[in-house]
Amino acid sequence: MMERGGLAVAILLRVAQALLTALAASVIVWAILPLAPGDVAERVLLGRGMQDITSEEIEATREALGLNEPLVVQFVTWLGGVFQGDFGQSFTSQAPVSQEIMERLPATFMLLGLALVFSIAFSLILALIAAAYQNRWPDHLIRLYTQIGAALPTFVFALLALTFVVVGFQMGRVLADPSWSAALIPAFIIGLDRAASWTQLLRAGLLEAMASGYAEVARARGASERRILLRHALPNAFLPFLTAIGISVGALIGGTPLIEAIFTWPGLGAYLLEALTSRNYPVIQGYVLIAAVSYVAASLLVDVVAMILDPRLRRQRS
Amino acid sequence: MTVLELARPSVSTVADRGLFNRLWRHRSGRAGLLLGVLLLVFAVLGTFWTPHPPDLPNYANALKPPSLTHLFGTDATGRDMFSRVMDGAQRSVGAALLVLGAVFFIGLCVGILAALAGGVTDVLLMRLVDITMTLPPLVLGFVVLGLLGPGLFNLLIAIIIGEWAYYARLARSLSLDAHARPHVIAARMAGVPGWQIIWGHILPGVALQLGIYATLQLGIMISIISGFSFLGLGVQPPAAEWGALLSESRLFFPIAPWLLIAPAFAIFLSILSANLLGNALRDVASPREAR
Repeated sequence: MMERGGLAVAILLRVAQALLTALAASVIVWAILPLAPGDVAERVLLGRGMQDITSEEIEATREALGLNEPLVVQFVTWLGGVFQGDFGQSFTSQAPVSQEIMERLPATFMLLGLALVFSIAFSLILALIAAAYQNRWPDHLIRLYTQIGAALPTFVFALLALTFVVVGFQMGRVLADPSWSAALIPAFIIGLDRAASWTQLLRAGLLEAMASGYAEVARARGASERRILLRHALPNAFLPFLTAIGISVGALIGGTPLIEAIFTWPGLGAYLLEALTSRNYPVIQGYVLIAAVSYVAASLLVDVVAMILDPRLRRQRS
Repeated sequence: MTVLELARPSVSTVADRGLFNRLWRHRSGRAGLLLGVLLLVFAVLGTFWTPHPPDLPNYANALKPPSLTHLFGTDATGRDMFSRVMDGAQRSVGAALLVLGAVFFIGLCVGILAALAGGVTDVLLMRLVDITMTLPPLVLGFVVLGLLGPGLFNLLIAIIIGEWAYYARLARSLSLDAHARPHVIAARMAGVPGWQIIWGHILPGVALQLGIYATLQLGIMISIISGFSFLGLGVQPPAAEWGALLSESRLFFPIAPWLLIAPAFAIFLSILSANLLGNALRDVASPREAR
């Protein structure tokens, strides 16, 4: 009973911390617009295709957009809008940014989610094999793979795999509509590259656990090496692995524009690139906000799972 | 051991001539060093000499497969790929080193200042670090690029703004750690002036550990810079950079697939060398080994 209460409090504290982080991130996201070079009102009018803009028109737009209010008021108004799903209007298309984001979000989540599943699966399997056959040929082979994978950036590996294997052997189409089946090959490629460093990490954790006192005790009691690996080493090595995954999710999110450019995947990353070249600030804001919230949510999820799995983490907090 | 003996600066982990020797005796350390020196020579040489002019088009010679005169073939405007890769090394590797140097220096100053000044300075600096780190890596880079516009210089600024916080946080915790070490306490008790404690007792150890972290990040930095350039946000044409070369070559894949190999291989080798070196450095300079 006490144990459960401790867990609930620890999780609540962590959620509160995540909310604060998200709020801090929202300040940065909002600040993009006031920090942007040039006059925002003029940019909006240019975006609407107006020419020969008079200073009266700019002044009227400033008033209409609330740009004459104090910055704090502007921030609160903006944040209130965001909570209601209002991210502003795209400078170029005049459509609501939230609507354009919602059209592209499923494609990105599909690709990233599947890639995450692949990379976790690959690294689990490969690290277990490497640890079971330590210093024998399967281990050497897997370590070669991790060295090569860690030295090839995901986008370079994806480019090579896509052009030489997928297109070269005509295994799939390059131009894809976002669907689970179309996401399969890109996600497989991303997963294969991402798994390299995670395999390294998990293998090291497994070997350390295999050499520890409790593994020795289990060995003395006659447990098989396989049982020690799966029942004793894996659960202990899994937590640091999980934390590393939580951190890497951020890198995965930050890497979406590159990955989507390679696979011509019509997701949020491609949308951001378009916005960057046309200085479409509301779109940039929308992307960054989504990225930040997903990042905060992912690390929150990882921490909560870790707290549920490992009672020691709860006690440290309280 | 007397207080004065303890107070002698223990910079053995830093100024120690043994560090290089230990690195050389480390198997992957030696491989990383050799490969790294080779790449540096390649990059420096590329700044003033290449077999063919890297930026001069020669349309009669377009899309030639690899040969003895053009080791990696020629691109769509007949420029020699080997020369372009060589010329690009200064931008790919040089920019990565420049960014790392900058974030290392900023992180070191901010971290030591926060740790030693404490109080309001510490709180303010660390909240700034926290806010910077709320965005996923790279995303802040995209924001800054969105504000400044594309270009190599803006890219460097963007990456520095996105990365410095990680170094500052690490430097702060390392300085706090060093501050509580017996030799620093002994130095304070022996009346060594404050700046001398920082310069002689805290800075060397913190700089070494931060330097190891920076070396471990070198590969990631190279991949970030080439990645942004691949997207057209970094180095602008006609200047050569490995990521930009990949993106140019990609268009001609069906007729000239060999064009992708050279820049990809250059990126691979440089990150491999950085990884080998970083891991070896961490192994040989870890306090456990040094003492």
